Amino acid sequence: MKSKKFVIVDYGVGNMRSLLRAFEYFGADIVVSEDPKTISAADAMIMPGDGAFKTGMDGLAVRKLTQVVLDFAKAGKPTLGICLGAQILFSWGFEFGKHKGLDLIGGRVVKFPKLDKEKIPQIGWNSLELPARKTWKNTILSGIKPGSDVYFIHSYIMMPEKQSDILAYTYWGGVKFCSVVFRGYTLGTQFHPEKSGVVGLQVINNFIKITKNA
Amino acid sequence: MAKVRIIPRLDVKGPNVVKPVMTEALRIVGNPKLLANKYYKDGADEIVYIDIVASLYGRNLDFDQLRKVSEGIFIPFTVGGGIRSIQDINNVLRSGADKVAINTYAISHPNFLRIAVETFGAQCIVLAVDAKRRAGGRWEAYTDGGREKTGMDVITWIKRGIEQGVGEVLVASIDRDGTRDGYEIDLIRQICSFSPVPVIAHGGAGSPDSIYEVIAAGGADAVSASSVFHYKELSIKQLKKYLKSKKINVRLT
Amino acid sequence: MHKVVAKYNSPLDVKFCKRCVVSNQRPRIRFDEQGVCSACRFADKKVKTDWKQREQKLIKLLDKHRRRDGSFDVIVPASGGKDSGYVAHILKTKYRMHPLTVTWAPHIYTEVGWQNFQNFIRSGFDNISGTANGQVHREMTRLAFEKLGDPFLPFIYGQKAFPIRIAVNFKIPLVMYGENGEAEYGGSADNEESPSFDILEDVPKHYFSGLLPKDLASKKITQKDIFIYTLPSRDEIKKVDVSCHWLGYYKKWIPQENFYYAQRYTGFSANPDGRSEGTYSKYASLDDKIDGFHFYLAYIKFGIGRATSDAAHEIRDGHITRDEGISLVRRYDGEFPQKYFREFLEYCNISEKHFWSVIDGWRSPHLWKKISGKWKLLHQVS
Repeated sequence: MKSKKFVIVDYGVGNMRSLLRAFEYFGADIVVSEDPKTISAADAMIMPGDGAFKTGMDGLAVRKLTQVVLDFAKAGKPTLGICLGAQILFSWGFEFGKHKGLDLIGGRVVKFPKLDKEKIPQIGWNSLELPARKTWKNTILSGIKPGSDVYFIHSYIMMPEKQSDILAYTYWGGVKFCSVVFRGYTLGTQFHPEKSGVVGLQVINNFIKITKNA
Repeated sequence: MAKVRIIPRLDVKGPNVVKPVMTEALRIVGNPKLLANKYYKDGADEIVYIDIVASLYGRNLDFDQLRKVSEGIFIPFTVGGGIRSIQDINNVLRSGADKVAINTYAISHPNFLRIAVETFGAQCIVLAVDAKRRAGGRWEAYTDGGREKTGMDVITWIKRGIEQGVGEVLVASIDRDGTRDGYEIDLIRQICSFSPVPVIAHGGAGSPDSIYEVIAAGGADAVSASSVFHYKELSIKQLKKYLKSKKINVRLT
Repeated sequence: MHKVVAKYNSPLDVKFCKRCVVSNQRPRIRFDEQGVCSACRFADKKVKTDWKQREQKLIKLLDKHRRRDGSFDVIVPASGGKDSGYVAHILKTKYRMHPLTVTWAPHIYTEVGWQNFQNFIRSGFDNISGTANGQVHREMTRLAFEKLGDPFLPFIYGQKAFPIRIAVNFKIPLVMYGENGEAEYGGSADNEESPSFDILEDVPKHYFSGLLPKDLASKKITQKDIFIYTLPSRDEIKKVDVSCHWLGYYKKWIPQENFYYAQRYTGFSANPDGRSEGTYSKYASLDDKIDGFHFYLAYIKFGIGRATSDAAHEIRDGHITRDEGISLVRRYDGEFPQKYFREFLEYCNISEKHFWSVIDGWRSPHLWKKISGKWKLLHQVS
């Protein structure tokens, strides 16, 4: 069976080194690229990212990658957005103004509401919780125990319109927010799997498996 | 309640991890890659990696070495040591750092933190402060590996850093460093009382209880320690177990 | 011939050691054909030394002197700093001796120096402290500064003489010093292989640069005044059979390790102001406000400042590389000890103008040149 090709989209935001290493850890055939041809030819795409919503969207635009990325995801090919990369999958982002996202998942990205006891940004480990009447079987969270900790570092949160898009949620300062979003093969994690130790590596392996079986 | 992060700190000089006391002396205690790996496997939540002589010797940290050390360690790395330009920050991030700690250069260049935050985002930029106790319940900030006085009050400086938008503050007590006498609780408590961003406390970890104290009484969001880990006086697993028993929320592996 | 060259026999051709950062201007230092200094070669020997065997010798020596009737059996000259803290504590605990620590007071105690001294005593040591006549000491300091180019000499005289006088008076034959400075830092080779030294022969040569307290005698300084600075007579010393040993002969001497040890066991604290002036280090020579001027004069007379001295032994001990040492020397060497300048002037009862004229008098043309009205050191380590 021909091995699947993975690509990490370099759109100028954030560090891709650890992400690359995490995929290589499982022997995935993976490159980092900002070349439209390379991206389009891949079997699965990862969108990393740290920083502001607008910076992310501009990063794609200036490299003429916005349509490339949209076409890829709309074709139903496995797409994993991480942190900012997950946030820009949404319709609108409200960081430093109102900005249009990729609109692959209906909803908005907003700042944490004012929290009583906790600080913003959330920096640290927090647990993934399983929504009621859902299962993580055969998903990107397959094999992970609910309540497992992963690493977050963000001030903004994803708010999907549809409940069905929420695969996992997390609590911070009494606020329940969506930590993993999915619609078909378009997936997004608010946390950083490449920074989340063994649990994070499991997430990455699951994505590789999803891609293999796609 | 947020999970308190346990962060081993590697003071790096050249190819070695060293362990100063009161930020003096450079006794070699281990190999950076071996120690980082060991702590990762033992359940560390993050690693702090500081080249403690970069500013003193007027040079940069070894980016190649950082790359090699951080390879295969899938938890966040906060890296510092001689960061004095946007290019330095870029290089450090590309070499395996997730967050960049800045001390010496930020104090002498008041706008640097702001520019760094605007370029890389707040979550990437950590204000590192070395604090020396002074009379009258105050602390003075030191630079260049704890060797140069600045005349700057630590509380005033941290407030200024937060104004510039840093995402986190890493406070190290010069007086407590390497002594195992417990953290500088008053200092940590004061900073935590006003800081809207997370505070990592460093300097003085001794018994598991001393670490509990800086969390419970000091309010630290994260605790950093070197001696107790490097000298194998305490394991991360043991420590987390102890903290859990004292009702402190920690990530267990 | 400039007085510096005449006094110290300074080579006119300045050379730097290929391994550390010290130059051939250091009095009594030797450079071999490879351009490596005697201190570095001595450090090489230390690596090859059978320290187990040396320790056996130490145990034998101490067994001979150890007293079981509760009286003191060894004198440890002590400042309360990292080195004497280590020596006193290890003799007491590991080797079960009963040390009498003997302190010769600094000219002017620094706060940290006094605190370290008190902490040292509190950590568990009997101590006798000697202070010279306040008026005489000041006058001698001034004279030493003007005539001998080292205001620190009165301290050095007493530091060597006073413990011996106590040894003689208390009838304690064994005096244990720290390290053989000549061997460790580059000086005479006389005692490199020796565990002990002849206090009457070697001290004037190696520590006083051939200048005795009596050479400072003047109308103001009488024989009575210099008594406390002079060593006991040969007869007195022989009667008690005083012998002076270096712990550094028996146990590998690593100043950095002494710091860790003293911090842990004798309450030693590093310089709270950060680095000491003229260097990068925080753990050495902290107790005297006059210290900085001793180092500064060395910089003027030899081009060897405090940073050079610190970096040189840290390179030899393997803590820093030569390149790192060079960057430290370039950054800090020769920095003026401003902090206690006013106090120094007041202590010596001299004006700032006079101070600088004395300093300039110690600048030899083979080391210094005035360029555009500023003094420049002609040779820098590279």
